[in-house]
Amino acid sequence: MRVGLLVTCLVDLMRPRVGFAALELLERAGATVVVPPAQTCCGQPAYNSGDRADAASLARKLVDEFDDCDYVVAPSGSCSGMLRTHYADVLRDDPAYAERAKALAARTYELTQFLVDVLKMRADAVPGTFAGTIAYHDCCAGLREMGVKAQPRALLAGVDGLAVKEMAEPETCCGFGGTFSIKFGEISSRLADNKCQHIVTAGVDAVVMGDVGCMLNVEGRLRRRGDTVRVLHVAEVLAGDGKAR
Amino acid sequence: MQVASIHFKERAHEKLNDAQLQKNLVKFKGKFVEARRRALTELDDADATRDYARDLRQRGLDALDVWLEMFERNATARGATVLWAETPADINRLVLEIASRHGAHKVIKSKSMVSEESALDHALEGAGHTVVETDLGEYILQINDYEPPSHIIGPALHKSKEEVSELFARKHGTPRKDDIEALCLEARHVLREHYLTADIGISGGNFFVAETGSVVLVTNEGNATLATTLPKVHIAISGIEKVVPTLEDIATLMRLLPRSATGQSISNYVDVLTGVKGDGEFHGAEHMYFIVVDSGRTSVLASDVKEALRCIRCGACMNHCPVYQNVGGHSYGWVYPGPIGSILTPMYVGLENAPDLPQASTLCNQCGIVCPVRIPLPDLQRKLREKEFEGGMRPWHERAGLKLWSWFAQRPALYGWASRIGVRHLHRLGGARGMIRKLPLGFGAGWTDERDMPAPAGRTFRELYKEAAARNGALR
Amino acid sequence: MSDDLLAGNAAARAAILGRVRRALGVVGEDAARHANAERYVAEHRAGPRPAMPADLGERFAQRAREMASTVERLASRDQIPHAVARYVDNLVVPASLAEQKTRTGVCWPEFADLDWAGAGLAIEPRPTQGHDRLGITGCFCALAETGTLVFTSGADTPTGTMLLPDTHIAVVRADRVVSGMEEGFALVRAERGHDWPRAINHVSGPSRTGDIEQTIVLGAHGPYRVHILLLG
Repeated sequence: MRVGLLVTCLVDLMRPRVGFAALELLERAGATVVVPPAQTCCGQPAYNSGDRADAASLARKLVDEFDDCDYVVAPSGSCSGMLRTHYADVLRDDPAYAERAKALAARTYELTQFLVDVLKMRADAVPGTFAGTIAYHDCCAGLREMGVKAQPRALLAGVDGLAVKEMAEPETCCGFGGTFSIKFGEISSRLADNKCQHIVTAGVDAVVMGDVGCMLNVEGRLRRRGDTVRVLHVAEVLAGDGKAR
Repeated sequence: MQVASIHFKERAHEKLNDAQLQKNLVKFKGKFVEARRRALTELDDADATRDYARDLRQRGLDALDVWLEMFERNATARGATVLWAETPADINRLVLEIASRHGAHKVIKSKSMVSEESALDHALEGAGHTVVETDLGEYILQINDYEPPSHIIGPALHKSKEEVSELFARKHGTPRKDDIEALCLEARHVLREHYLTADIGISGGNFFVAETGSVVLVTNEGNATLATTLPKVHIAISGIEKVVPTLEDIATLMRLLPRSATGQSISNYVDVLTGVKGDGEFHGAEHMYFIVVDSGRTSVLASDVKEALRCIRCGACMNHCPVYQNVGGHSYGWVYPGPIGSILTPMYVGLENAPDLPQASTLCNQCGIVCPVRIPLPDLQRKLREKEFEGGMRPWHERAGLKLWSWFAQRPALYGWASRIGVRHLHRLGGARGMIRKLPLGFGAGWTDERDMPAPAGRTFRELYKEAAARNGALR
Repeated sequence: MSDDLLAGNAAARAAILGRVRRALGVVGEDAARHANAERYVAEHRAGPRPAMPADLGERFAQRAREMASTVERLASRDQIPHAVARYVDNLVVPASLAEQKTRTGVCWPEFADLDWAGAGLAIEPRPTQGHDRLGITGCFCALAETGTLVFTSGADTPTGTMLLPDTHIAVVRADRVVSGMEEGFALVRAERGHDWPRAINHVSGPSRTGDIEQTIVLGAHGPYRVHILLLG
């Protein structure tokens, strides 16, 4: 089984350790992982900003790069959701790519979803350890485009020393929304602040989620508020480099 | 109603910093959400019901001309008059003509969002008529010098009881009431006399029924029932898209509308009104007029956001929208706020007059998930964003930033080189805390006004992976 | 009476329908589309709906209570006056609404023959002008699914009686309780198809508003209370 790791641009640029954690988890669960070296961006920023032409160019590039993979897996609900639910639309007018895009979409997964639903990874096979309490935030695209909800929780239950506590409104958007966070910085910050309030009220050591974009948003607001709750990607907690303090 | 949607950002800023409104919004938030969730479980298969509702609304739209003609034929056969309005101005002109034909002075209204589009109350008052809104929320707004509604089913939900109490005392000249029940009783007494003395009752129309030529009105207060039972003339105004083929279709929609709106199993009053009163009937209108309104609907029907016309105005999208919950309905600047408003407003008043609305969404899709007729709201917002982008309606720095990003992303080698430099630079800016307090570029400033930007780790995954792979000699 | 209004409106009608047809890509007259529509209407197809228990009367009573109506079961029609008297006597209203507790009111003509005076009540079989405090009606049918009363307007069933008084008492025959809205509409078609009612009013409990701070208050414009006498 040949699994293509879609690293995602935010992991590449901002949090490379998340990419390595994903790699380790996939290999540990028995997958042969390839990392197409020329991958950059899935085109979501362009698509969501109304720039179809650039979105299509980037989508074609990605389809070519992952064509020979049995699966495409991303440590991101947002990027996997872009492929799964939007690539067919992005490339609908391109006869050379329309069908390939659909086929690629059908074999695209978010990381924890792939580990649990396809590789049947069990909680006791999760290598990570973490001494503390965490709350899991359900990032929008993972939850509503990919159906990721139970999988990360099932795997987190296998992390030694870790206790999961649900915060209020775990499914409410953190306000990131890609370019929305810059175009409507004030509204975005308020939504992030609401999220931070729930995190702080939950009294946890860390908040864990599956998308680096949302992590940056939540962490940025937490720090500006002066809160010290850690913000971690689910992959790094599961792989064991979440390093409890 | 005047369109103020161009000022979305400024208004949102104002509302985010309005302490009283924020308090009221917190009270509002959540109640409808939880009630909706519970109410839908009463349906054995809520998802199948929603699929069916989506299909039946779409069936109505796919042959809209046929259903409208059938509606007109059946309504006319039962003694009603069907009039067509192309523009908001047409609505007002027709209502005034009807009023003058019947020598009417006092007009009572139950809630009609379409009449908000045309500012009908102002037109009637301008022509010397007395107009009384009877939906309690609309009445509160009317006596507050026509404050615009902030929500399609709870138009005054942004107000606290203290604010209403102060308003009633001032406008009615009565002592201040401190509880909500007393306020409602006071409004009831004022409005009851108006019902009994009005010449015309104007209602909206939740649905038109093609099969019978009826209008369906849904309220909890019963105000639409009173306003259409007592006066001699009834005018029902609604959009052409509200026509539904059969009464069975109404039965399905009524399983979803109140549940999606307020979380009730059923609204207290659901009226199916058809034609004029019969022989010997004591109550009921002697003259019934329907005004079916285009006013932008046909251009939506011809566009790629036509699914928005399936909307049954339940308000679930706004009740669940994190942006709406924080900025409130007034920020959107026109009749329809929230996610559905971010589609309808630009389509009805022009994208150039509401360019921020399709953008002012995180695309979190909470709205799309709860919509009873499954309107893919984020997809439609994205389609309007495409129109803005293609029409050159976005600011130059936004376009430039996007283009630059896409240009690099299509050139992997260059992207790798530039990103290595970029992340090192930003990493240094993050300092010991790893947090950037002020982003260097102009268009990143929106982020760091109230948030830090966590700094990158300093090296990219691509370079680290290449190194590791070289070490292991296993680079693909 | 509205001929000139209509004449002036013909252009708007043609323009709107023309735009609709263009938007839908319809060219020329298409008899098949009209035939399809007629066929769909004739089918009266119902959508998915929750299952109803066998005892519709009980379900109706239960849901009506949940909608803030009160329900009393009666064995026979001649018990109605005493049941009404009992209900009114037991009514607890705040001092500010004391005038609502009254033995005087109006009823639909179908109840004119009942011995109201024998129960100490003064009930007149006439429509209300809006100042009566007690209104007694029958109903066309009732819906078990939602605890809803269905009224069809007519010469002998004046709408105002269920709408204007502070207290509305409705008599429901158990054999007129049907499952849901679909059955209600089917009954209207069967019994009033030749004489379609101006109004089919579905009423589920007292008039209410939540427009101030989402706090539910009963008696917004119509009745403060709905009492149902379920017969048989």
